[in-house]
Amino acid sequence: MLKQELIEKNPIRHLKGESDAKESSRMGLVMARAGVGKTALLVQIALDSLLNDKQVVHVSVGQSLDKTKLWYDDMFKDIAEFCKLENAGEIHDSIMHNRMIITFNESKFSRAKLEERLHDLMQQNVIKPSCMVVDGFDFAKTDRAVLEGMRDMASAMNLQIWFSAVCDEEADCQCATGIPSPCKGLEDLFNTIVLLQPVSQSDCIDLKILKGSAAVSKCGKLLKLDTKSFMIRENCK
Amino acid sequence: MKDLSKVRNIGISAHIDSGKTTLTERILFYTQRIHAIHEVRGKDGVGAKMDSMELERERGITICSAATYCDWKDHSINIIDTPGHVDFTIEVERALRVLDGAVLILCSVGGVQSQSITVNRQMTRYRVPRVAFINKCDRTGANPDKVIKQLREKLGLNAVPIQVPMGLEGDMQGLIDLVKMKAVYFDGENGDKIRVEEIPAQYKDECDAKREELLDAVSMFSDELMEAVLEGTPTEEMIMAAIRKGTLALEFSPVMMGSAYKNKGVQLLLDAVNDYLPCPTDVDNFALDLDHDEAEVKVSNLPTDPLLALAFKLEDGRYGQLTYVRTYQGTLKKGDSIVNVRTGKKAKVGRLVRMHSDEMEEIEESGSGDIVALFGIDCASGDTFTRGDYNFSMSSMHVPEPVISLSITPIDNKAQDNMSKALNRFTKEDPTFKTYVDAETMETIISGMGELHLDVYVERMKREYKAEVTVGAPQVAYRETITQRADFNYTHKKQTGGSGQFGRVAGYIEPLEEGEYEFVDQIVGGSVPREYIPSCDKGFQKCLEKGSLVGAHVTGVRCAINDGASHAVDSSDIAFQLAAMGGFKEAYMKAKPVIMEPIMKVAVEGPTEFQGSIMGSLNQRRGMIIGTNEEDAYTVIEAEVPLSEMFGYSTDLRSLTQGKAEFTMEFATYRPVPKSVAEELIAKAQKKDKK
Repeated sequence: MLKQELIEKNPIRHLKGESDAKESSRMGLVMARAGVGKTALLVQIALDSLLNDKQVVHVSVGQSLDKTKLWYDDMFKDIAEFCKLENAGEIHDSIMHNRMIITFNESKFSRAKLEERLHDLMQQNVIKPSCMVVDGFDFAKTDRAVLEGMRDMASAMNLQIWFSAVCDEEADCQCATGIPSPCKGLEDLFNTIVLLQPVSQSDCIDLKILKGSAAVSKCGKLLKLDTKSFMIRENCK
Repeated sequence: MKDLSKVRNIGISAHIDSGKTTLTERILFYTQRIHAIHEVRGKDGVGAKMDSMELERERGITICSAATYCDWKDHSINIIDTPGHVDFTIEVERALRVLDGAVLILCSVGGVQSQSITVNRQMTRYRVPRVAFINKCDRTGANPDKVIKQLREKLGLNAVPIQVPMGLEGDMQGLIDLVKMKAVYFDGENGDKIRVEEIPAQYKDECDAKREELLDAVSMFSDELMEAVLEGTPTEEMIMAAIRKGTLALEFSPVMMGSAYKNKGVQLLLDAVNDYLPCPTDVDNFALDLDHDEAEVKVSNLPTDPLLALAFKLEDGRYGQLTYVRTYQGTLKKGDSIVNVRTGKKAKVGRLVRMHSDEMEEIEESGSGDIVALFGIDCASGDTFTRGDYNFSMSSMHVPEPVISLSITPIDNKAQDNMSKALNRFTKEDPTFKTYVDAETMETIISGMGELHLDVYVERMKREYKAEVTVGAPQVAYRETITQRADFNYTHKKQTGGSGQFGRVAGYIEPLEEGEYEFVDQIVGGSVPREYIPSCDKGFQKCLEKGSLVGAHVTGVRCAINDGASHAVDSSDIAFQLAAMGGFKEAYMKAKPVIMEPIMKVAVEGPTEFQGSIMGSLNQRRGMIIGTNEEDAYTVIEAEVPLSEMFGYSTDLRSLTQGKAEFTMEFATYRPVPKSVAEELIAKAQKKDKK
């Protein structure tokens, strides 16, 4: 399989924002219970941008650099295997040049700091990201203003931002009625919100689109993802 | 046999100029190892005992003197040098392995400086418990509280003072011990007369508050103390036991203060070393089982178990090679025969001595956990000794391949002799330092792990061995490899008088995922006679030594032969070797060879405000920035940069950041060089060939 096909198989192709905001400056949110695969999906989204020759900043709150880097290496390997990608090593080396990881301590993260950091990077011509993923952002402890600030930053920098949020056990029932906590009441800030749910006795993970529509109609609002590579599976039981 | 609980193996670490030398001088004086105090910059012109090496002072790094030994209140304390420079990965690792605990010295004005951060991080990695000593409390601007705050914020230590100074700067009178709640004065010309009194009234409130804080912090480690605190009856012993417990678990760091120069607080620091730092049995040490893929095995520390000892430092003394060893388990006796695990060689322990800075004391045996020196044992630094019954090693046997080399030329005959002596010594001390003579240019080449690494050795050669050498430009160790499969079918024929040569081999070469070289024999039907198959293997291996692109070592190749032909008379070993070589050369260019260069993992640590310019500088050097990590006011930037671009980086970095940033690098991997660079290298190699 070639790089092009790989891009097409990515679940992110099926997600499109609800409002008509510019493709390049929108916010997305991945929700799931602990351990289902938020980081994996975020890395997957980042890899998609990388494969499209775009630059990505990965902001990791509370995780070390090495660990985050491992996520990328592992995910790429899994995807390459899943899709039987040719010359994987070469592609890996070439795209990782466009990725940059910024890690923060839990207590040290602030929007102002991040913005300053990004400005620095752009000024020094180190990287000009078009996509940013923020992993480990604590929604329970932040207020609306911070996210609004992030949204402003996204449109000022022409940036697509994806967040991950941990929701609790009851999320599964809550999602029928609306957006589960801790992000309740914040949904208007995001263009796309998805929920990951493990499916028992299956090798798939359900990706439910809570906000935003699926671009491809036949998939509806539910996508089946491979548990390892997070790519769309067609022959899932 | 000594009581192990009364032995302390400690390191003293400090930033340049925070008074390490002065403090060590005082420690040696109070423990009666020396009988007069000489100041570092004293008028008597003698200079302090530990201050002997020019290079050490210039660069602010520890190079010489391995271990000093002293006695304090029936405890034996071995003080071991902790090198602070991370470029010498192996040496640092060894020094930290030998330590059980450490004293972190900080200047009360300067506070936590960059080197303290680096050393502290390594100690955390090797789980070394530490106590802090805030020195120079007599200096103008002294502020121990600020330093304690930095210890917490910058180093992430749970630092709590166990003393309160009585007066700071010029009028420092003494210290108040918060455990005993007594004021301590240091009388006499050299501060050696200790006077203990009640706490003066003006300090009473401050002390009560600070003691409260201390009890709060340490009662976490002891339920007994917690209860006693609630009932209002904590005893001295309970507090001390709790402090010790917290310190050993690396969850607490007691902070002491004083002024070594003004002879204040040193004795209390020694008490604290005895009271709070671990003895050899308090610490878990691990050996690597070489029979089981270097699996970690806990050592027992029991003197009755089989011997396990680590040689961690070599010194060229007046009486030959002195080897410092630490025993981890078992007993080392005079007259014993011991086995060097690395070489498998047997040696006899002739003389066993305990070092007392200048003189030495002959001893009969040394128990586990002790540090002693051996005479006349031929070994390298980092070797493990056993009695031959174990195949364990105390330090990893894996030595990374050197990635950078320099040519050195002695300026005269005398220097030549000294140079070879020095090289002989250095290669023994440091397994990552290698030397050889280039067969083509007849130059002596030294190779190591980085620019600074080689720099220090060249400098040492000059100073310690008086070997003046001129140094060539650093060379990066490039490699070549192939990226696709290519077939060959080559016939070697020669018939010019005498017996001819004939051999034909056919097969292919292809990239090998892991490993350097593999030979595959797929001959069926005996088209190449059995006896000549090893000849083909040999021929291929000869080709690997020098690739056709830039003459670098070729790696990652699988060579397979699947057909061939021979002649009953003219075929020979050499004919098939030459045929294989011809075949390899035929296929090599078709297999799209590439040049690989060593990539270093670089970590730059500096104040956050310079982050942008640091990243810019790495970017310029073909660096791939992996990410950044914010640690309070400091930021660590990690990147992968080709070694060839890193020459002179330390100078650049210094001017870019006003000397506030530091970097470390280690070898990461080999990666193909970009096309433009490859073309340049090939052009250069061709030019060299023509000459």
